[in-house]
Amino acid sequence: MVVLFSFNAQKSLTVFKGFSLRWYEAFFHDNVLLGSLGMSLEVSLVAMAGSVVLGVALALGLVRNKGRLGTYAGLIMMVPLITPEIVTGVASLLLFKGLGITLNTGTVMIAEITFSISYVTVILRSRVAALNPEVEEAAMDLGATRWQALRLVTLPALLPAILASAVLIFALVFDDFVLAYFTTGVDPQPLAVRIYSAIRFGVEPTINAVGTLMLAGSITLIGLALAIPRLFGRRGGLDLISGE
Amino acid sequence: MTPTAATPAVSADTTDDTVPAVRLDHVSKEFNGSHAVRDLDLEIAPGEFFSLLGPSGCGKTTTLRMIGGFADPTEGAVLLSGEDVTALPPNRRNVNTVFQSYALFDHLSVADNIAFGLKRKGVPKPEIGERVGAMIDLVQLGGMAERKPRTLSGGQRQRVALARALVNRPAVLLLDEPLAALDLKLRRQMQVELKQIQREVGITFVFVTHDQDEALTMSDRVAVMNGGRVEQCGTPEDVYERPESRFVAAFMGTSNLVSGVYRDGAVQLEGGPALPVGPRPGVGEGSVVDLSIRPEKIWLSDFEPGMPVVNGVIRETVYSGPTTTYLIELAPGVTVAALEQNTARARMEDRWEGGETVELGYDPDHCLVLGH
Repeated sequence: MVVLFSFNAQKSLTVFKGFSLRWYEAFFHDNVLLGSLGMSLEVSLVAMAGSVVLGVALALGLVRNKGRLGTYAGLIMMVPLITPEIVTGVASLLLFKGLGITLNTGTVMIAEITFSISYVTVILRSRVAALNPEVEEAAMDLGATRWQALRLVTLPALLPAILASAVLIFALVFDDFVLAYFTTGVDPQPLAVRIYSAIRFGVEPTINAVGTLMLAGSITLIGLALAIPRLFGRRGGLDLISGE
Repeated sequence: MTPTAATPAVSADTTDDTVPAVRLDHVSKEFNGSHAVRDLDLEIAPGEFFSLLGPSGCGKTTTLRMIGGFADPTEGAVLLSGEDVTALPPNRRNVNTVFQSYALFDHLSVADNIAFGLKRKGVPKPEIGERVGAMIDLVQLGGMAERKPRTLSGGQRQRVALARALVNRPAVLLLDEPLAALDLKLRRQMQVELKQIQREVGITFVFVTHDQDEALTMSDRVAVMNGGRVEQCGTPEDVYERPESRFVAAFMGTSNLVSGVYRDGAVQLEGGPALPVGPRPGVGEGSVVDLSIRPEKIWLSDFEPGMPVVNGVIRETVYSGPTTTYLIELAPGVTVAALEQNTARARMEDRWEGGETVELGYDPDHCLVLGH
């Protein structure tokens, strides 16, 4: 319905009066919505980069540190996954308020990264555990330093899983509403939050256009996430995110 | 006057053939309080094909990992060409390893896998191309240079692993059961090839295996390990023909083991004959001993003069193509196996049947007498 009526020539949300791209045009001239889109993209990209770097490091650390510390860290890592998102949202809000931090784009980024690390780690952890430890030893045996072995051998082996989780995180954060709602400042607001506010004052067909674009974007990303491992000629690894 | 030319305990001269390529100086390795390797002393000469042989858990792989730098000895020192490398990481030792799992880099082509070590060392590009090409020819992987490892067969992957290590021209090549994952036929073929390659390149090979046939056919010398110690170290002939311990005798092929009392240079079986074994210093008169002799060292005909001969009764005849094994009872409950070659001269109708009494001859030098 949303897709259909986004192409409606009239403002009506119930009667289709012919094909038109006027709502898309309206969207691209709406500076507030465009600002929100820009912010959402910014937040998603930063959250993606941040959570992938930290998540991969955490996955490597967890798999290789079999001690007590690793076990506890692994358990704590699971907490964001099982906590209802609204709890995480409220908790983040209280934390920022308690620390006297003004809510802005930065606070959304921090909250989203915190939330996303777990996903990256869960996806990467099994991949890291499946790596043959002799491969990294072989690299060092052939003259690589520890860091070179990681960069030249381990990370390339993990690349499909890293890219898939990056795409997933981008899509999750971009579409995220709850966490963004609690941690965003007044202006600009992430797209999802902006849409929610807009709907409260009556649905504009522009929102349909935005929704359609977001849907198309998400489908493309999920398709990409599914295709990446195929491109690398690898099966499995995606079972974890196919439910998204 | 006695010459006082002090020989340096440690010489860094790598061209000197008298300096062992690998020396383990009283090396021990503990894991959580238990010894994987105990007080190991080994010297491996340059250009030698040296095998570490033993059952799983005997410490052979740990020994190899300590030479490669992947495990730190708890005690003792590892010397490569006279240089103490105990504290050096793997990437700073002039050794390369062929791993049991091959550990190939799946995201790189065969050629890039082989070139990996040379690139780390900053070898100029044209030289890398040349050496990688030559190595691909040596291990017979022509036409495979651009393939990814995953598209190769087990034998081909094994060759890539070998080429990737050898191309760096290490002083020592470490091989951790490199043939274990191959099927029997391919394994036999690779054994011959590996030995040929080793002769061609003249690099010291340290080869870990649990397969005694493999160790015997390929090695210049073999160290038989058990429980973290070297039980015996010598040429394949030494360890097979003259085992020094019960473990080595049992591990290297099949051996007959009979118990008796040692008296007057013979082992007296209970309710049976005395088996002359000659004087054995170190074995007490009247003590209970085990006598060990290999089945193929027992003669059933054409005895040599002066050879001890005893009687036995054939209990079982097992024909297996080129050989026939007889199970012969020497005394109540004491049976030994004797192996006869079915050569052109041996006629089928001459084979003994169950219940027949036969004469057994042997050379006392082939007997191992072990006190309890």
